[in-house]
Amino acid sequence: MKNLGWRQWALVLAFLSVLCFTGFFAVRTVRDAIYWHHHQDEPIRGWMSVGYIAHSYHVPPHVLYQALGLPHKPPDKRPLREIARGQNRPMDEVRAVLMDAIVHARPPYPPPPPPPPPADPGRSP
Amino acid sequence: MSITDQLLAALLLYGLPVLFGVVVIASVGVPFPVSLMLVAAGSFAEQGYMKLWQIIMVASMAAILGDQIGYGLSRWGGRRLILRIGRRLGGESKIKKAEALSKRWGGAGIFLSRWLVTELGPWLNVTSGIARYPWRRFVFWDVLGEVLWVVLYVTLGYIFSDRVQAIADILGNLAWVILGLIIATILGWKLFRYFRPVRVSAEKTAVLLDTAS
Repeated sequence: MKNLGWRQWALVLAFLSVLCFTGFFAVRTVRDAIYWHHHQDEPIRGWMSVGYIAHSYHVPPHVLYQALGLPHKPPDKRPLREIARGQNRPMDEVRAVLMDAIVHARPPYPPPPPPPPPADPGRSP
Repeated sequence: MSITDQLLAALLLYGLPVLFGVVVIASVGVPFPVSLMLVAAGSFAEQGYMKLWQIIMVASMAAILGDQIGYGLSRWGGRRLILRIGRRLGGESKIKKAEALSKRWGGAGIFLSRWLVTELGPWLNVTSGIARYPWRRFVFWDVLGEVLWVVLYVTLGYIFSDRVQAIADILGNLAWVILGLIIATILGWKLFRYFRPVRVSAEKTAVLLDTAS
């Protein structure tokens, strides 16, 4: 067995540290992969648009626009945070409204009705 | 709202100019969540908010421009500074050694740091510039790696368009795992070389026996 100098000890220490570092991130990667395999839904974040949330949760977009009191055409590209600010509501409230609409647009609830035709400004109701 | 959320919101609102700016700045070395931006852009393309070919063009050009800035600054600005310090400390030979190493192995390093271990990208730009890695070869490996990186991440975002956050989380962790494995392999190899038994060839044994007798 060779005697270890300080350089070799430093090398062994660095090697073990890197192994721990790699192991930590490997565990996180596997944990995330397992989590996302079992959980279909991403948490709703401020950067997401209503269209993205509908796409991510697999519900028709008009259901979410309706829940927020927004016209579904043309699609509103604004992030949720901006919509909440525009409506003077806290983000948590907007998130809760959307979650409620999502739950009611999925089984066991009946499928939501088709989107209403866009309002025609030229015609009276 | 976190910086990541703000950047994603800006990408959604203003599209390509934001993508261009963020990728350039990140390629120079500012730690922006650029992989997440690319995955998100791919997802927005799938939903019809952006065009896929435009994203790939703009992001590739931005990444290459950012790398050129890093390389250029360190080659024509940083090199003089390093050489001056090196001369004072008597480290000129080490700089020359680094240059030789960079010229020999630089291509693979530049290529892999563009798309596989992206955390090292800005550092490789600086070391390539300081070591005077030939510019044409740098551009060749840079373009190849950056286009691959952009196509890979944007396509992932396009395919898994309903899982932007999830894909970005997994890719972020995976990049650290790959970086860790590369460093562990290098350190492990050095340790192995130190601990392995020294083999003495038959010729050397004969010489040793001759001198002993």
